[in-house]
Amino acid sequence: MTKRVVVLGGGIGGTTVANRIRKAVESEVASGQVQIQLVDREGVHAYQPGYLMVVFEKMRPEETRRDESALLHRSIQLVKGEVEKVDPAAHKVFLKGGKEIGYDVLVIASGSVIHPELTPGFVEGANSFYDLANAQKLRAALHAFQGGKIVISVAGMPYKCPVAPLEVTFMLDDFLRNRGIRDKSEIHYTYPIPKVFGIDTVAQPMQRLMGERGVNIHVPFNVEKIDPAGKTLKSVEGDTLPYDLLIAIPPHRGADFVGASGLGDKGNWIPTDKFSLRAEGKDDIFVVGDATNIPISKAGSTADYEAEVVTQNVAALVRGEAATARYEGRVYCWIMTGLAQATYIKFDYLHPPHPPTPSFAHYWNKVIYNRTYWDLTARALF
Amino acid sequence: MSAAETGSNPNETKRMLVDARGSWCPGPLMELVRVIQEEPVGTEFELLSSDEGSRKDVPMWLEKAKHQLIEVRAESGYDRYVIRKTH
Repeated sequence: MTKRVVVLGGGIGGTTVANRIRKAVESEVASGQVQIQLVDREGVHAYQPGYLMVVFEKMRPEETRRDESALLHRSIQLVKGEVEKVDPAAHKVFLKGGKEIGYDVLVIASGSVIHPELTPGFVEGANSFYDLANAQKLRAALHAFQGGKIVISVAGMPYKCPVAPLEVTFMLDDFLRNRGIRDKSEIHYTYPIPKVFGIDTVAQPMQRLMGERGVNIHVPFNVEKIDPAGKTLKSVEGDTLPYDLLIAIPPHRGADFVGASGLGDKGNWIPTDKFSLRAEGKDDIFVVGDATNIPISKAGSTADYEAEVVTQNVAALVRGEAATARYEGRVYCWIMTGLAQATYIKFDYLHPPHPPTPSFAHYWNKVIYNRTYWDLTARALF
Repeated sequence: MSAAETGSNPNETKRMLVDARGSWCPGPLMELVRVIQEEPVGTEFELLSSDEGSRKDVPMWLEKAKHQLIEVRAESGYDRYVIRKTH
């Protein structure tokens, strides 16, 4: 009987895991013993790390999108549709419109969804770069900017790409200097905890860099609301910051169907075993990327490393073997520290990151990755 | 598991486990700030952190945010913080 592997989501995690599973069970797929389907709402793959690059014209908007069908191996069936619910007991996925898909092994890679409306005043008052349309709007706003006070803030947690507020701060500093208006501008960085990043090994060098660049730091600062008319930002700690231009990270939640299926916590994140990457209590459901509740970076790199483990476990299950592969928490992310320099953080559950001195070489590695992502990660050709 | 209800304690207060060991990015305190915003006043949290920086950051943030630090205990390779949401 054919084993049915179904992947939900055509982002970084879903696409690379589907292609890797296909490679891992190539002969079974060729002989019809294993069938792989991937469900995606639009059938368009977005390279989300590219949005910040679009803001500062390091990438063109069209370079961040490709048809999902062009990235999936021809033997993987792409199903365009929006997931309404998963029924783990019946081993079925229900799509809006009435279609049902049965599965033997399910991989949920439904990512995170931005919810700017959860912060009062965000939609009217804040600029962001967490979707392509808003990245393009922010690019235009920065080009029209002639000087004043720019505030960078995190308006909700968790949010994907934890280093993004640092990156936009440093890139903005370079951008304003290049345009000759840095001396007419103030950059204010806020963060929800008493330092500029979550752990000291990263926070200390980043705070030093902010000092060198003349960035004003306001910590801890948890956004309560934005007043678009008065152009102020208010924190739950009781502080108020005026701004001329606000760049904020919107609140994120897991996909709606996760909640509707009874698979998620309050934020629709799926409780997931941090080593096996199984949804808790579900032997035949694995979770990849932002969709998990694991307390590590919601980032493409995380999804990429997790996909290696899930691939091995799914391949083992369809062959009737024990799924023993373990995710050790590996993540590797670049941090842009200007328009043409970067550092990186590399860590796992046992070893914290120690970012090296920023350099052009690290930046160039990121540029190369941006260009090769489609083959290297999405198509999983190497 | 990053956050889970640990069941009842002697006072029947809801207590949540926030296992942030190995969380370097975004970090244990970011996890605590997230879950504390989602839960009702009176909830207790057991935060497990393997980041030494938490020894300074967690009390500092709790003081600023006016929540209560009930206990800090060193365990093998990590620290356990018991916290109550007070408002």
